[in-house]
Amino acid sequence: MIRDLTWLDFAYLVYAARWTVALTALAFVGGGLLGLLIALLRLAPFAPARWLALGYIQMIQGTPLLAQLFVFYFGFPIFGYQVTPWIAATAAFSIYASAFLAEIWRGCMQAIARTQWEASAALGLSFLEQLHHIIMPQAIRIAIPPTVGFLVQLVKNTSLAAVIGFIELTREAQITTAATFRPFTVYGIAALLYFCICFPLSELSQRLERRLRVAR
Amino acid sequence: MSLVRIENVAKRFGRLTVLDDVSLKVAPGEIIAVIGRSGSGKSTLLRCINGLEPIQSGRIWFEDMVVNAPNTDLRRLRQQVGIVFQSYNLFPHLSVERNITLAPTVVKKMNAAAARALAVDVLRRVGLEDKIAAYPDQLSGGQQQRVAIARSLAMAPKLMLFDEITSALDPELIGEVLRVLEQMARSGMTMMLVTHEMGFARNVASRVIFMHQGKIWEDGPTKDILNQPKTPELVSFLGSVLH
Repeated sequence: MIRDLTWLDFAYLVYAARWTVALTALAFVGGGLLGLLIALLRLAPFAPARWLALGYIQMIQGTPLLAQLFVFYFGFPIFGYQVTPWIAATAAFSIYASAFLAEIWRGCMQAIARTQWEASAALGLSFLEQLHHIIMPQAIRIAIPPTVGFLVQLVKNTSLAAVIGFIELTREAQITTAATFRPFTVYGIAALLYFCICFPLSELSQRLERRLRVAR
Repeated sequence: MSLVRIENVAKRFGRLTVLDDVSLKVAPGEIIAVIGRSGSGKSTLLRCINGLEPIQSGRIWFEDMVVNAPNTDLRRLRQQVGIVFQSYNLFPHLSVERNITLAPTVVKKMNAAAARALAVDVLRRVGLEDKIAAYPDQLSGGQQQRVAIARSLAMAPKLMLFDEITSALDPELIGEVLRVLEQMARSGMTMMLVTHEMGFARNVASRVIFMHQGKIWEDGPTKDILNQPKTPELVSFLGSVLH
């Protein structure tokens, strides 16, 4: 039964976009916390910690996000753990984000001159004090553009969660298309909604960058 | 008792030997100029004393602390041995005041008011009390280097190491930094300076060490070393730097 495309469908798409935003936010927070830990392990003055972190990053970056979603959603029930699409998607996206954010942030921290580590070590600061007072504040400034760049990728990649039955913007668009058979219009609206989420993020990034430059 | 005792230290970078069986004692109050050609191991020697460079053999003591033992409390060592670098290495994201108060508040747990008073005091000693609110990139090279000296002084070290601290400066800015050093020397601070400023070494240093090929080639009172060099290497070095 094919019906007309109505304003109600548009409202449903906007409604579904909330879950895109929510999933992105959860994955960014989860991935950010985990990613920070992994980034610090990559820099730790203790070789096995660095190897462990590198192994983790290579495993996550070297496998498709889709496969990671499947592992969580279809893999865990085999061992008797039923997971909802929400939990599977949040877990998979957090882990995916953590590996990429860890590498971005590690790079930013390593971009700070070695002499900054040396000067702060010579004043008696410990590794964590050096990170907290000297390295992080300088690294954050250069980390903003690539971090927001990744966040924008993350927003768009949440569309993959549609395959495990997570109803977000793309999944809603599929459902609407199936009922109305207006793929060009419906997916066009979905694309526009993605843009409406991502564009302000890029703007915010530029504003933050400017502000931090003024405030050093 | 010696402040620093270095015994048979060897330092290698891969197959390159930078310090070759170096032994040395530094008494409190000494002002030692370390001279020599580039690559002779002067800077490395200095950096080994506060544990910035690991060594392959030998031993280094600061007072009763073994610097190169695996369980050395480097944090305690570095509160007592300050170092100033050629490239200043101020923290660019922090004001002059915070550059100076960071280590006293974080490492020594000094309270904010006392740390601020300390910053004013050490800045006065380097003649920059009016720059307390400035950021490093608003200062000239000479001013930055004086702030770096003040930052080290704020930890009240027993020994100060200076690693070619005027080498990156424009000639007209060198004087202001050397004057700060002279004043510190008069105050009785124990100092080791790697320097190319022979005039300064002659006027201020109580002792000169000439390094050549990773070894201490000559070592003695300033007048003797600079006026009566014993080895042809030192004669040729002095000839090349004094013109």
